[in-house]
Amino acid sequence: MIEAFILLLIILPLFAGVLSLILPRLWRGAFAVILSSVNFLIAVYLFKKELTFSFPWAGFGIDFSLRLNHFSGFIILAASFFGLLISLYALNFLKGKDSAKQFYAYILISISFVNGAVLANNLVVLLFFWEALLLTQYGMIVIGGRLAFRTATKALIISGASDLCMMAGVILTGYLAKTLLISDISLPLDLLGSLAFILLVTGAISKAGSVPFHTWIPDAAEAAPLPFMAFFPAAIEKLLGIYFLARITLDLFKLNTNSILSSVLMIIGALTIIIAVMMALIQKDYKKLLSYHAISQVGYMVLGIGTCLPAGIIGGIFHMINHALYKCGLFLTGGAVEKQAGTTDLAKLGGLGLSMPITFFCFLITAASISGVWPFNGFFSKELIYDAALERGKIFYLAAILGSFLTAASFLKLGHTVFLGKVSQKYKEAPVLMLIPMVILAFTCIIFGVFNRLPINNFIQPILGIRAAGHNFSGMPANFMLVIVTVIVLLAAFLHHFIAVRMNGGAIRAAEHIHQAPVLSTIYRWAEKKYLDPYEVGIKLINKLAKIFWRIDRGIDWLYGSLIVNLTFAFSRVIHKIQAGYYIIYVIWSLVGAFAVMSFVLR
Amino acid sequence: MVVLFILIPFVLLLVLNLPFKFLNARIAFWLSVVLFSTQALFVLINSLFAWSNYPAVLGQFLIFKLWLDPLAFIMLFTIAIVVLVSLLVARSTITTEKRSFNFINLLLVALTGMNATVLVADIFSLYVFVEITAVAVFVLMAIEKNKFAIEGTFKYLVLSMFASVFILTSIAFFILACGDLSFSEIHNAFLANSNIILLNFAIGLFLCGLFIKCGVVPFHGWVPDAYSEAQSAVSVLLAGIVTKITGIYVLMRLFSSVFVLKGSFHNLIMLIGVISIVFAALAAFRQDNIKRMLSYSSISQVGYIVLAIGCGTPLAILGAILHFFNHAIFKSLLFVNAAALEKKFGSTDMSIITGLGSQLPVTSVTSLVGLLSTAGIPPLSGFWSKLIIIIALFNAQQFTYGWIALLASVLTLAYFLFMERNIFLIKTETAPEGSDGVPFGIKFCEILLAAITIGVGLGFPFILNSQILQLKGLLY
Amino acid sequence: MAIDLILLSALLLSAIWTVMTIRLVHSVVGLALTSAILAAIIYRLDSPLAAVFELSVCSGLISVIFITTVSFTQRISKERFIVRRKERLLRFLYLPFIVIIAGLLLVRYLRIPQFSLPLSAQVTDVRLVLWNMRHLDLLGQAIIIIAGVFGVVVFFKEPNK
Repeated sequence: MIEAFILLLIILPLFAGVLSLILPRLWRGAFAVILSSVNFLIAVYLFKKELTFSFPWAGFGIDFSLRLNHFSGFIILAASFFGLLISLYALNFLKGKDSAKQFYAYILISISFVNGAVLANNLVVLLFFWEALLLTQYGMIVIGGRLAFRTATKALIISGASDLCMMAGVILTGYLAKTLLISDISLPLDLLGSLAFILLVTGAISKAGSVPFHTWIPDAAEAAPLPFMAFFPAAIEKLLGIYFLARITLDLFKLNTNSILSSVLMIIGALTIIIAVMMALIQKDYKKLLSYHAISQVGYMVLGIGTCLPAGIIGGIFHMINHALYKCGLFLTGGAVEKQAGTTDLAKLGGLGLSMPITFFCFLITAASISGVWPFNGFFSKELIYDAALERGKIFYLAAILGSFLTAASFLKLGHTVFLGKVSQKYKEAPVLMLIPMVILAFTCIIFGVFNRLPINNFIQPILGIRAAGHNFSGMPANFMLVIVTVIVLLAAFLHHFIAVRMNGGAIRAAEHIHQAPVLSTIYRWAEKKYLDPYEVGIKLINKLAKIFWRIDRGIDWLYGSLIVNLTFAFSRVIHKIQAGYYIIYVIWSLVGAFAVMSFVLR
Repeated sequence: MVVLFILIPFVLLLVLNLPFKFLNARIAFWLSVVLFSTQALFVLINSLFAWSNYPAVLGQFLIFKLWLDPLAFIMLFTIAIVVLVSLLVARSTITTEKRSFNFINLLLVALTGMNATVLVADIFSLYVFVEITAVAVFVLMAIEKNKFAIEGTFKYLVLSMFASVFILTSIAFFILACGDLSFSEIHNAFLANSNIILLNFAIGLFLCGLFIKCGVVPFHGWVPDAYSEAQSAVSVLLAGIVTKITGIYVLMRLFSSVFVLKGSFHNLIMLIGVISIVFAALAAFRQDNIKRMLSYSSISQVGYIVLAIGCGTPLAILGAILHFFNHAIFKSLLFVNAAALEKKFGSTDMSIITGLGSQLPVTSVTSLVGLLSTAGIPPLSGFWSKLIIIIALFNAQQFTYGWIALLASVLTLAYFLFMERNIFLIKTETAPEGSDGVPFGIKFCEILLAAITIGVGLGFPFILNSQILQLKGLLY
Repeated sequence: MAIDLILLSALLLSAIWTVMTIRLVHSVVGLALTSAILAAIIYRLDSPLAAVFELSVCSGLISVIFITTVSFTQRISKERFIVRRKERLLRFLYLPFIVIIAGLLLVRYLRIPQFSLPLSAQVTDVRLVLWNMRHLDLLGQAIIIIAGVFGVVVFFKEPNK
């Protein structure tokens, strides 16, 4: 009976999603809210239970096998929580918009796929749901309007390409381990094993949105509907990507601190932190700025998990859930601003703090969380990651601290520009239905911060099992130097902000001196022209290649065509006879082919 | 029993041409619809055993030596579906009474030929029925009698003639080497390992002929012209099933269960397959006519099947069979979409027809299904067959080919998305006036084929477990 | 052996003439001649029945049909004839080169292996083969003739646009 519940997690939202396309338009939103709360209740009910479920599926040892354990139950709980909040939020935000038609269906179907991917105990089943998410991702972006098609295609191709890597990784892993059951796989990191590891990690961190698979996210921030941004890149994809990354490093492969792959992961993490936060610093659009932070924070998680130390892993996973909370909250405040002020362009916003006090309050808490201010949740997870990073190497710690400084600076800039400053116009506070999710998220941030023992001991530490037994990761870090450095960095960010505002003239220009710095300005210019975007470069390359091959094809055609033509010209000088003779080219191709085949046969 | 698949269409053909007044195109149409759907349903309903275990006494009275195995079952089903679709499309694209009557008769000839090709157990009979199918299709292609159609037909005819020469010569070598032309005798000759040089020579020639019939690079010259210049209904027939039965099915049958090959042949076939995949996918990028683009994509997809056949492991053959079925269905779907566009706008040039998403909702949605399935996006049917082919390649240690096949599917997705965007997704300011002018017959075909594509994709794991895996033991 | 060589070269020459000549009647005669030489070759290969078929159908029946058809056509004028002939000759001028190159390639790269022919199967009467062993092909013949009839109907009986 209880096994049926675990299937229900997949089937119920899927059918509800399809059903909601048939329902009258007005009911769809309410229907989605009800169904996602049912889903949330099931997730709560199943949390902390251990279940397996399996039935024969595709042959070749590919069973439809699901497994609920502590980790997956936790992720499902979180995902359903965000699903509920976002559908609640979308009720008001999408009211009367064209994209509301399909949005709820996509959100429900996505919940189903996420549940399936998290529960899967077979790599092929995991891959199935993982790839299916591409469809809803595509759909959700594409309903955003005219610009969205290009972005959606970009997202689809980037994610599709990295999922292809993951598919290859799954095949290779299955080949090496002789089984596809995730719970049975435990591979050493030899040559082929490392290759499989890299391929799988590519899929995982690409889902999480790490550098260099991130470039569609800022584009989507402009094009896609905002609830999508709050749901997918901010919450669901982080949960899923980091969940799978943790499973890879913890269960599927035995990654340890000596492995070079661990350092590779940490380097990717550090690079992600720095590159994305540098880009975030100069953005002049609310949503785009947030989207770069959504990338940057992934760096912390990857860095944390890459350290292979219990503190780092726990910090990474804790940071994942914290990030989902505050980034989702930040996007929702962005949505509230967009809804009330009609724009998210920083140059046109200002002084909203007075007219939208609750939104401002939520922003303050979530922004403080993301900057790592005590006693909010971001502080504690970041400290854990700092601790582990410092143990592995000073350079990683420095990168993380630098990222923290820049994060704080850019949020000071954002908050200052949007909520403080001159009151240009009087706006109303956002509707209650939109405020509720924001307030819930903000309070969760506080609770997870002040009572950090609660999530760490209940949710996260059990994931590591015996490896973390005997340690206590909650509360203030043991190494008090870390706290002092953090406080100094935050103070420096404050100081820097006020000096920069004074010097550059205006809060929005607070990062101009970095933007215009000698070397950086060139890099920024390249980045803005998308020279540094692997996807754009790749597309250009493919276009060129296609052109070249087309030329070659035409060239061959021309060669044959004009060879025959010229021969005919030279020997017969009869021009009008040529048209009828083109089939002869095909014959010649075939005969040349046949000649090649026969010489192959008779060699 | 099995021979009914050949005799009933033949008898129907004869009956339709009796000199009675009431036998007009209308009657012929409905009788053919009944026949085609009966074939499809019969294959679906009857299990294998009901057919192969007919009483031994009965067997003595059958003068034809045929064989029927699960592979043939899938083929018969596919043939019935595509021929039915072609007939329905023709009903709305061919207007004159006389011409549609001739069309139906020739379709029956083609059906007879294809059914027999699937069922025969003798290499010469195989050749005869392949030729029958080809002759029927030549006439069908030229049925419009415009300049381009006849030019396309002529190219197909000439290339096909070369194929015939190769195949006939090869058959002569087979009779020289084996003394008999039945599949079992040839198989025995391979097992006995006698006259191996002669046999290899014969296989080489046969391959050349089959490559032309399949239309793989560099034997593909006729394909784009023939597919795109022919009448829409004929394009569906030709691209959907005829090239597949006369080329790929024969390749599959002979090279998986009749011939016993040495390794270099596998490499040769795989090489040709990969060249086709890549070359045609790149060529498709630059096409501005939908039908031409679809033709190149067809070459590329056929490349996948050929690649899998070349790989030759049971899993790969399984993948080839599945991709055969899926490709027949979704390529027919796409050509039906092209027919709908042609019917409405009188052109399939992509620069002329843009922004149709809102005008032709059924066509645009079903074409998206077809395109995504071709590109191998889960959970549509094309994904599974490509996945199996790629897994089979990796299993057989053919990593290079596996990677190329994997990457080329991205290319497929890219050029189809270009096409989809151009035709359906761009919103034009001045949308052409007029309601959805697509006839019901075409819409029905679109929905039917899209439903099969989605259904097979979603139900694939169950189909695989319950039906297709049973094939594996019977393939050899 | 010598007579085989002579026959084969004659076959080749007459085939080339059939293709090269500009007058349709000459072409038909060339075709008949080619068929006749082919029949002789088949006869020398111990297949008298096939030879008779070849001779009666290809060089007899078909030639008669062709000549009947040609008799419906008109002659072209003398000047056009000369121009046409020149064009035609020029068009095929490169043919010998291609043949020579192809032959060289074939000899150079396509090493046709030496093999001993297996003993021929026991000789069965062709009638036996046709009526008792190859029913399916006979059915196929019938169908292909019907398809041909439809071809004629489609091409010639339907009114042109």
